[in-house]
Amino acid sequence: MKWNSIRTKVLAALVACLVVGAGCILALMRYSFERNSQVLAAESVTGSQKLFTILEAREISKMTAVSEALITNPQVRDAFAAGDRTRLLELTAPLYLSFRKEGITNWMFHSPEPDMTVFLRLHNPPKFGDHLNRFMDKEVVRTHAMVSGNELAKAGFAVRILRPFRDLQGKVTGYVEFGEELGQFIHAMKNQTGNDYGLLLSKKYMDRQFWADSSAVWKRRDNWDDNPGFVVADKTTASDRIIRFDGDLAAVPGQGKVLERFQEGNSVFVRGIFPIHDAAGNTVGAMFVVRDISSFYLAMRRTANVLVILTVTALALGILLVLTLLTRLVFRRLEHITVVATRVVGGDYESEIQVTSDDEVGQFERLFEQFRRVFIDLTTHVPELQEKG
Amino acid sequence: MSALNDIKLRIEEKIKADGLDAKEVKGKIGLRSGKVLAFITASTPDDPEAIAKLKQAAKEVLNLSL
Repeated sequence: MKWNSIRTKVLAALVACLVVGAGCILALMRYSFERNSQVLAAESVTGSQKLFTILEAREISKMTAVSEALITNPQVRDAFAAGDRTRLLELTAPLYLSFRKEGITNWMFHSPEPDMTVFLRLHNPPKFGDHLNRFMDKEVVRTHAMVSGNELAKAGFAVRILRPFRDLQGKVTGYVEFGEELGQFIHAMKNQTGNDYGLLLSKKYMDRQFWADSSAVWKRRDNWDDNPGFVVADKTTASDRIIRFDGDLAAVPGQGKVLERFQEGNSVFVRGIFPIHDAAGNTVGAMFVVRDISSFYLAMRRTANVLVILTVTALALGILLVLTLLTRLVFRRLEHITVVATRVVGGDYESEIQVTSDDEVGQFERLFEQFRRVFIDLTTHVPELQEKG
Repeated sequence: MSALNDIKLRIEEKIKADGLDAKEVKGKIGLRSGKVLAFITASTPDDPEAIAKLKQAAKEVLNLSL
């Protein structure tokens, strides 16, 4: 095959098309994967945020209902009004065991203002008499109505309700508080979505010593020093590596943020994060969302492979077809013209050019055949040639 | 005696000796040299340029050194 032949040039152009076509498909699939993984990550963040809000609202409703039943219980009301801590503990301790099974981790009674100290802590009865001085405490005192929301205590983050406790005359005798650690939300969220979650708490709102103490109480590793700005309060995966965030929690936008895609072993994940605010509106933490998109990635790879194979096959067949057509319609007929022309110059006046079609090459065949006849006519008028016979 | 005609005769001898298709080979040489071999006779006047072209064509087509 000659390098400067039309056949070679056409073949090179078609092969280039094949390579470009396959490359375009791969690039398109790559772009599609990048785009879709971004969408999946954004969906995960948005969906998880909604789910978190729903769970939060559901738990607030549950705690509200429980507190409603409690404040109408005359024995509890009287014991609390009388300031009888032992009696109150006797009455409520069995209930607390049941509530714990339903997710209520914190239950406190607070003395009324102006003192407002912890009167009884069901989840830690020996500890009482301390001032918490939180935003929600101030709000319930100010409004004398139920307040709810997330509140980051020194050692943990919980969704809480706090409401006044009144005697028969309607006088506020103190406050009751129920809370659920937000850490347990993430396990429910994982069950529903299949995503992995990590609850991050900003160190700015936490106390180092309380975190160490609570870590000892809850028998968890003290991970305070793992990250500079936050602690991982809870997570649904054993791996610490997939929860990685270098930014400032306070800078995470309200609607959440998609972080990067990453690969660990054979698995591909996308990460995202959304902020969690306390009752006062501070960004005190964030929920880290990790979605495993390995199956999507594998499906995309398979699709890309199939598409590339189909494209290469189709283009290879196209190349074969084009070359076959060119050979039959152009090259073979041009070769025939060349052979006849050569033979005519060599003295063969019998070979004729058969006009096989009326296409462009056919028009050339016709012209050349006419030229051949003129040439033969000319040669017959050369006397020397006639003598030679 | 024409040198061009001598060359033509040598070419025809070579074609015959090698059993080649005379019209095809003469056609190729004619196209390359620009001379129709059938028109070369003993009385054809010598032209140095035509001789050189014919020799070159014979070399290329038949590998015949003249």
